[in-house]
Amino acid sequence: MLVIDDEPQIRRVVRNALQSAAFGAPDDPEQPTVRVLEAATGTDGADLAASELPDLIVLDLGLPDQAGLAVCREIRRWSSAPILVLSARHADTEKAALLDAGADDYITKPFSTVELLARVRAQLRRARQVSEASAPAERVVLGALTVDLTRRRVERGGTLVHLTPTEWALLRTFLLNPRKTLTHRQLFTAVWGNSEGDAQQYLRVYVGHLRRKIENDPMRPRFLQTEPGVGYRFEPELAPET
Amino acid sequence: MPGADTSFGNARTRTGLTHWLAWFLVLALLTVAMLALRTHLDKAHVALLFLLVILGASGAGGRWLGLSVVATSFVLFNVLFLPPYYTLVIANPLDWLVLVTFLATSLVAAQLLHRARSEAQEAQERASEVDRLATLGAETLNAPDAHDGLRQIVEVIRATLGVDECDVFERDAEVARPAASSRIASVPGPSAPAPAGEGSLVGWILQSGARAEELADGTVRLSGDDQASADVRALAVPLRVKGATVGVLRVASAAGLRQPPEWRRLLDALAYYAALGVERVRLTTIAERAEAERRLEALRSALLTSVSHDLRTPLTAIKGLAHEIQQGGSADSASVIEMEVDRLNALIGDMLELSRIQAGAVRPALVIDTADDLVGAALQGARSILRGHTVEIDAPTDELLSGRFAFTESLRVLVNLLENAAKYSPAGSTIVVRVRRDAEWLSISVLDRGPGVPVAERDRIFEPFYRPTGTPSDVGGTGLGLSIARGLAEAQGGRLRFMPREGGGSCFVLDLQSATIPDVDD
Repeated sequence: MLVIDDEPQIRRVVRNALQSAAFGAPDDPEQPTVRVLEAATGTDGADLAASELPDLIVLDLGLPDQAGLAVCREIRRWSSAPILVLSARHADTEKAALLDAGADDYITKPFSTVELLARVRAQLRRARQVSEASAPAERVVLGALTVDLTRRRVERGGTLVHLTPTEWALLRTFLLNPRKTLTHRQLFTAVWGNSEGDAQQYLRVYVGHLRRKIENDPMRPRFLQTEPGVGYRFEPELAPET
Repeated sequence: MPGADTSFGNARTRTGLTHWLAWFLVLALLTVAMLALRTHLDKAHVALLFLLVILGASGAGGRWLGLSVVATSFVLFNVLFLPPYYTLVIANPLDWLVLVTFLATSLVAAQLLHRARSEAQEAQERASEVDRLATLGAETLNAPDAHDGLRQIVEVIRATLGVDECDVFERDAEVARPAASSRIASVPGPSAPAPAGEGSLVGWILQSGARAEELADGTVRLSGDDQASADVRALAVPLRVKGATVGVLRVASAAGLRQPPEWRRLLDALAYYAALGVERVRLTTIAERAEAERRLEALRSALLTSVSHDLRTPLTAIKGLAHEIQQGGSADSASVIEMEVDRLNALIGDMLELSRIQAGAVRPALVIDTADDLVGAALQGARSILRGHTVEIDAPTDELLSGRFAFTESLRVLVNLLENAAKYSPAGSTIVVRVRRDAEWLSISVLDRGPGVPVAERDRIFEPFYRPTGTPSDVGGTGLGLSIARGLAEAQGGRLRFMPREGGGSCFVLDLQSATIPDVDD
């Protein structure tokens, strides 16, 4: 794993946290320690990422030599390792820009190590699942909901649900990217391509319609979670009722 | 002609004409009647009867009618009633005496009557003038708003003086140049185009304290009492209070201003009221500004006190606990430090947010989104604190309501409202989230069964660092939540309102701009 941060204190906290938890794959529980590489600048970080091919990268946004966003984009050009971004700022537009640049998740300072480890674990799990099953299943069953991707049929509790083409394109995009936060821009591109159109400003309304068709309680969605100011995330597992 | 007075000239000419016709008719009838009885009448009878008509005409119709009746009666008396008849020749020298006495008596009587009459009329005019000024003073100076008062004065001046335009300019206290001015009241409305060079003329009058006249050809001259001509289109006079020039009154008439003495006297009196009005506006403004500054200062110092208290408390705890750990204290202390740091972090975040809102730096981008999305995300965001409560959603199920708003900002407001509802209402009680939409607003209300807000504190709940009286200090929060919430609601063109809930408790309503979605379903 690679930690890119200019603050030695933060690097120390992150390294200790990562080493204290064993992130071995389930079939390899004996893996005793996690090797943590550190870089203080963006340039060093990018070099290390290229030479060592880490499983996961923790990237601080406020680097002295170059903008974290540029580093993120640079690494993403040739690496598919999950990138977790640390940021002191809370602006949602910035978060969205990061995700658009290829980051997988972000965490704002100050953060607790518990939260950091949970996010790291989630990213590693997702990376593994993507590599294991790169082709999506043809039929997805989500509780009472059954989606047939090849025949474009959605059934809820045995009843056929009619989806408009836009709603279908949205649902398909979500199903293909489980557990990944999709930014509004990524969804625009996936559904409408790069065309500019009136329909795009209604993306959130289409999501609303889709929710009303597939969720039991659209105000307490199980599948289509909102990431405020950033986008939406599809959770295929049935989360326990809260 | 009698119509030398401007304001009532027309009316007087008309009544004057009827008087003339009436009295000459009386004179003619009397003459015919006396002619019929000429043989039985003495010269004295004729003279007395004529005198009676002269007195009547003078009394009713004024000096000129009186004198005309005198002249006509004189000729008629001579020609018709003094022998030889039908000539101006007088045979008897004693008749000369009668005639001259008649003429003298008539003239003196007409003159006396005229003087008495005009004095009475003048007294009456004065009385009505005083009456008008008294009303003006009472009404305008008592107007609750100083600016309204001044506007009323200006309207009264325009009506009383019979001019088309009336403007009042005040000296601008804000601007360094002493001659700077601004039009603060005017008739017709302030949208009327200002005559060219008006500003500089007003400035010059403010400095010099002289009065000036604008002529029809656009030139300006000093105004003197002896110069009165129909060429004058506008007159600008300084407004003085206690020797200081506080403003300028300008009256203008497209037909030209004739300035008879009584008109000028009235103008001077009215100008004094305008001056008092301007002065009142000025004093009110100063007082308001002082009051606002005082309130701002009080708020600022209250803020500073709260900030330093709220910032130092967690710092003190952290410092003490860190010391304990150094001395080999328990690991529990470390978790308390973590909590205190979270508190500090929340407070710093809120303060930064509030200062950005107050500086107007928050200009969120508005997007079209649904109430479902917002309420869902808010319930998700507040789920840990809502754990002890039941949340009931009251929203139409058959319609997807949408609005044009900033998502994260609105989410923050709604989460804050939900947290407050959970914090201040009894555990286990139901919190209702109600969603409604009309043409203008998408309204999301959060209703609780907490203690509500006392009437006296309803204005204060949106102030920074307000906490309900009697709130235990362990009820968390920075005291900035509602100020931030209202700021965020208003920054996106929305509103945040409080109202008491029927049957007890609070109801906070977040109004967001409503949006109707064209049917884009493909």
